[in-house]
Amino acid sequence: MSALLQRRPGAAPVSESSARPRRAKAGRGGTGRHKRENLAAYAFLAPWFVGLALITAGPLLASLYFSFTDYNLIGDHEFVGWANYERMLDDARLHSSLRVTFVYVFVSVPLQLAMALALAMVLDRGVRGLPLYRSVYYLPSLLGGSVAIAILWRQVFGAQGLVNQVLAVFGIQGEGWVSHPDHALSTLIVLNVWTFGAPMVIFLAGLRQIPAMYHEAAAVDGAGPVRRFWHITVPMLTPIIFFNLVLQIINAFQTFTQAFIVSGGTGGPSDSTLFYTLYLYQRGFGAFDMGYASAMAWLLLMIIGGFTAVNFLASKFWVFYGD
Amino acid sequence: MNILPEGRRPRRLLTLTAVAASLALMTSACGGGGSESDDGVVELRYSWWGSDDRHSTLQQVIDVFEAQNSDIRIVADYTDWGSYWDKLATSTAAGDAPDIMMQEERYLREYGDRGALADLSEFGDHLDLSKVDPLVAESGNLDDKTYGIASGVNAYAVMADPKAFEAAGVELPDDSTWSWEDYVALSAEITEASGGDIVGTQSMSYNESGFQIFARQHGENLYNEDGTLGFSEDTLAAWFEITKELLDEGGQPSASESVEIEAGGPDQSVLSTNAGAMAHFWTNQLGGITEASGSDIELLRYPGETTGERTGMYFKPAMFYSVSAGSEHPEEAARFVDFMLNSNEAAELILSDLGLPANVDVRAQILSSLPPADERSAVFLSEVEGTIVDGNPPPPIGAGQVVEITKRVTDSMAFGDLTPQEAAEQWMSEVETATGSQ
Repeated sequence: MSALLQRRPGAAPVSESSARPRRAKAGRGGTGRHKRENLAAYAFLAPWFVGLALITAGPLLASLYFSFTDYNLIGDHEFVGWANYERMLDDARLHSSLRVTFVYVFVSVPLQLAMALALAMVLDRGVRGLPLYRSVYYLPSLLGGSVAIAILWRQVFGAQGLVNQVLAVFGIQGEGWVSHPDHALSTLIVLNVWTFGAPMVIFLAGLRQIPAMYHEAAAVDGAGPVRRFWHITVPMLTPIIFFNLVLQIINAFQTFTQAFIVSGGTGGPSDSTLFYTLYLYQRGFGAFDMGYASAMAWLLLMIIGGFTAVNFLASKFWVFYGD
Repeated sequence: MNILPEGRRPRRLLTLTAVAASLALMTSACGGGGSESDDGVVELRYSWWGSDDRHSTLQQVIDVFEAQNSDIRIVADYTDWGSYWDKLATSTAAGDAPDIMMQEERYLREYGDRGALADLSEFGDHLDLSKVDPLVAESGNLDDKTYGIASGVNAYAVMADPKAFEAAGVELPDDSTWSWEDYVALSAEITEASGGDIVGTQSMSYNESGFQIFARQHGENLYNEDGTLGFSEDTLAAWFEITKELLDEGGQPSASESVEIEAGGPDQSVLSTNAGAMAHFWTNQLGGITEASGSDIELLRYPGETTGERTGMYFKPAMFYSVSAGSEHPEEAARFVDFMLNSNEAAELILSDLGLPANVDVRAQILSSLPPADERSAVFLSEVEGTIVDGNPPPPIGAGQVVEITKRVTDSMAFGDLTPQEAAEQWMSEVETATGSQ
């Protein structure tokens, strides 16, 4: 990773097209030796393919099938057509879980990316001990989705938690943040913003790819730091911003662990942290309504797919690939 | 460097790898089920939920059973209440249910009706059901099949900490006469007299078991025999209204404090943390709560028992022993259930942790050896027994979801999003959907 983070003036990233011809040639067969090497490669890939088929593709197709049945985990199931999908229209808790999830995605992702970019810019200015800072800021990304951090969060934002103890010093009597419907979701948004390390490292790598001569030339022409940020850094960074945006949106839609632990699996208080995935889990494993839960999983897939598609379409208008 | 010899080896290597990979996957898929090992010892899995205390107790019981039955080995599989049902549902769906499992009233029929449980009346010699207390003997039956045997009996009651009453300078109520008005007034008085250090009572509306008593006091019940709701909306609204009054008058913790207290389970109850004077629990939890609080918690009859139309308290089968329909060794599993149910050795270790033993002979046998807290709950149950009018119809399939609905609706009302009347309306419509009675 450190090699990736070296500043390379003027160097363009290796494009995929330069790697393509060799692969194409090998694919056509070539010499016997190539064939043998390919076979060996497939042999080594075999466990992965088997895993993909059995552990990912199998359940994926099974859930599509179950989404058209009244499968209840324990007994037999019958085909019910579109009934599960029709029920979604009238399910008030499903709608409320969608609302919670959308608020979470649209508030936490932009905040998280802004935070990541800001810190990446600071670190890019050549701070001494950069590897240390980079690791320290990256650490929450590795821990953020863990059960331990969620439990810690519940403590920190609890009625007797650290946040209220600090507030008490200033004479403010805080409430239990995770146990009040008006604040519980905010604490989870803060948790997601706190895991800005992963996009930050990617931003940092992106910033290092911007040739220094652009900035130098602009500075010579009298452009200030703000102007250089908007007219050089941001346009040059748009592919990275786009990449982070797509990735973080997909991640945020799938948030489960944090909400599950912080609310004790209920999505409470008053459904204020009932994320879509948490409700899906409740229907499937709490209410034995696996047919409906499977249908919900496919709706989520379509929502995420839709957002990603829109993202890619819109990217034509704002992402600058430098060619 | 070419590490592969010439010839057709690569293809063989490919085949070998594929075979090895699929074998590995197949064997791992087959693992986990009950099996008979080479030495003729049958291995059974027994799963339950509970606290650390219960885990070590039941492990001791298993050790005693294995010492007496050298042909059976029991593998313990335990977790806490919340994850127990997720785990059981998933393993049952995967055809890998534990051979013997603890069940609960609200889930038993769900599993029985779907063919996941064995009929325990069919084991004759291996499982003797003749000594089970008639009050709960048929509580695990559905369509003439016995899907579960009650482990013991339980009653839902008010627990009171005499030390907290003393600290607030308030006298313990007379539970043979107190009304719901008394309960509300007393709770507010304790909070006020202690300057807020001790709260009167923990919120009671997170558990529909208390409402069941309330409905019975009004001549109604939670469910009818046919599984439909057995009470009027006004009765439920009146029940939520009591919690509303307690909130308004400071008799119970605030809405957000209650959320945290509930999330902590019995170990975080206001009695366990010495932050309150009263709370509503099942009698078999007295031992654990007494231990956590460090004072001699007392059991009180529910408010309104003598001021309503009739008494509302009832005995409930604490838990059930069930055997999986898919068990490869149902007879051995039945022998273990028989040991749990009918042996003094097991009862002397379990005491009243799974409810006061359902086997009446065993119950009489251990009464003398109970530690103080368990003895108090035994005495309380025998006192209450004379006032109980009748039992409850079994809860309908889907009743397991009511636990979560009750919590959620209570939160919404406590935070002021719903009035008691609206809360009653929403609770009823959601429960009717969950239990399919609409």
